[in-house]
Amino acid sequence: MMTPILFAALGGLFTHLSGLLNIGLEGMMLLSAFFSIYAADLTHNLLIGFLAGIGISVLLALLMGVLSLNLRANIFVVGLGVNLFANGFTVMLASLFFDSKGTIFFQNLPRLAYLEIPFIHQIPYLGSVLSGYRLLDYLAIGAVFLCAFILYKTPYGYHLRAVGKDSKAAQNAGISVYRHRMRALVLSGVFSGLGGCALSLPLQTFVGGMTNGRGWIALVAVILGRGNPIGVFYASLIFGSASALANWLQASVSMSPKLLMALPFLITLLFLVVKKNKLEEGVGR
Amino acid sequence: MNQFNVWRTVFIVGAALGFGLCVILLTSQEPGVAVHAFFVGPFSNTYFFGNLLASAIPLVLTGVAACVSFSASVFNLGLEGQVYLGSFLGVFLAWRFETFPPIVLYPFVFSIVFCCSGLLAALSGYLKIKRNVNTLISSLLISYIAIYLVDALIETVFIDPNAGMAATPYFSDRFLFAKLLPPSDLHAGLFLALIFTFSLYLVMKKSVFGFEIALTGKNPTFARYTGISVSKILMLSMFLSGGFAGMAGMIDIFGIHGRMIRGFSNGYGWNGIAVALIARNQPLWAIPSALFFAYLENAANVGALLSDITPEIARTIQATIFFTVTAETLFSFVRKKKGGEAWTPSSTASSR
Repeated sequence: MMTPILFAALGGLFTHLSGLLNIGLEGMMLLSAFFSIYAADLTHNLLIGFLAGIGISVLLALLMGVLSLNLRANIFVVGLGVNLFANGFTVMLASLFFDSKGTIFFQNLPRLAYLEIPFIHQIPYLGSVLSGYRLLDYLAIGAVFLCAFILYKTPYGYHLRAVGKDSKAAQNAGISVYRHRMRALVLSGVFSGLGGCALSLPLQTFVGGMTNGRGWIALVAVILGRGNPIGVFYASLIFGSASALANWLQASVSMSPKLLMALPFLITLLFLVVKKNKLEEGVGR
Repeated sequence: MNQFNVWRTVFIVGAALGFGLCVILLTSQEPGVAVHAFFVGPFSNTYFFGNLLASAIPLVLTGVAACVSFSASVFNLGLEGQVYLGSFLGVFLAWRFETFPPIVLYPFVFSIVFCCSGLLAALSGYLKIKRNVNTLISSLLISYIAIYLVDALIETVFIDPNAGMAATPYFSDRFLFAKLLPPSDLHAGLFLALIFTFSLYLVMKKSVFGFEIALTGKNPTFARYTGISVSKILMLSMFLSGGFAGMAGMIDIFGIHGRMIRGFSNGYGWNGIAVALIARNQPLWAIPSALFFAYLENAANVGALLSDITPEIARTIQATIFFTVTAETLFSFVRKKKGGEAWTPSSTASSR
């Protein structure tokens, strides 16, 4: 349950650190979810599915970049447009290609295998927690460490964070704000694309609007994770378990899962309220 | 609107329609019929035309709602939740006070809905002032919380088991607005929307309060030095914005649905943002702008009915408007002087 959120959140992390709030994550994920499964079904090759999903998502990120950085459009409005576009476009294509607006099941798709880590899966209790996930899930956790390394141990990471902290100072220090923001957008496209793949490919299905707010939750995880990959990982873990719990409750108890779905947003809101904020001068008097 | 903005708007509308035309030509098996249905269909008979006007009503109001907050340079991204809460509250009150005559019930319900949705939005303003929480993010979070809570209520406590979907039972049909163009959906809420829009126009353009909003939106520091309480303006503009959004949902419910249906609002809040952006935050321009948005929605529906296109193409066309509407330098080749009058929400709202 956590993997799609974690991937998208890592994508959102890059744009967040570069000083942009990418609210198009949801749309990028959705478009990638459709294209990855469609391409994988056409070619019977999962790898091509992944590449198609990531590709389309990066394309959307580039569109966002050109519109907001080159043409100076408002990034929030463009992000809303991306979400709207993905929502309409996927349903349109689904009804065009498959003549269906509901759930599309791809039977001929190769299955994503579960991996058992040797030795570790034999450890009682711990083994079943740590082992037996799909390759994608391990990839997501690996990506957390990769991102942490990139952001905190490479010059690129320092530059990117500098752009986000104070774009004018960064520009004066000779760091191209434009280039770093564009790269951050592309990276967020790559990761949201992976998030979309992680959503549709394991299920072998596509449903219109199947992201179901995960892009927004990913965005919220970025804020809650305080712009730090490890923090983002914990936030995604909490939200992932919350949605797993919501599913379980829906199946077992007659309590409405909607209450639990509101929880990530409530937690984040409370976090933002409680966290120490510097008050703007004059406002609040 | 000056001439430059008019040309810009014409371009945006033209680009959207052109994109729509391309999509239809690419996806339809019978492009001739489909294009005709899309462009002429909504105006071909009173039923389609009435529905077009009816679907513009909530968009005018959410558009106006977005105008108020954008004018003060606050980004109210929670319109969707405010619409949803307002609608639900309207339905709830219509049940609770079933015995009231409509003439008593309307003002009563309207003021409560306005206040509650307004307060939901004003909460973001309050958090901004007291805790410096970004308004854009907090309004979005609060809106999602509100939507899920209302959904939870619809699905559990208030569900109508015979409805076959997540919806509440109908309230007494004495409270439904009169239909203007039967058999279409057009209802008397149209006049309410126009009255609200016009009174907001008067407030924004002719009153001291409206001037204070505009001044705060343009330059908060300067506004503060002139003795305007920036916090007060922030709260009030959020309150008004939320209130109008609540009205939008409620009028739609009282005009068409007669009950609360899960997800009925179908992006009224989001589209309201685009309506306000096309209208350049001018309340009166929200009317044609909302009509255009409603036209896209209905044209796609009519096209789906009479031909083979899917109604979802409306969303892809609307998305192109989101893409182009705030692009400042897209038209810089037209404008001689660069950066003359910067459009406010993009430049200042991001810091709020």
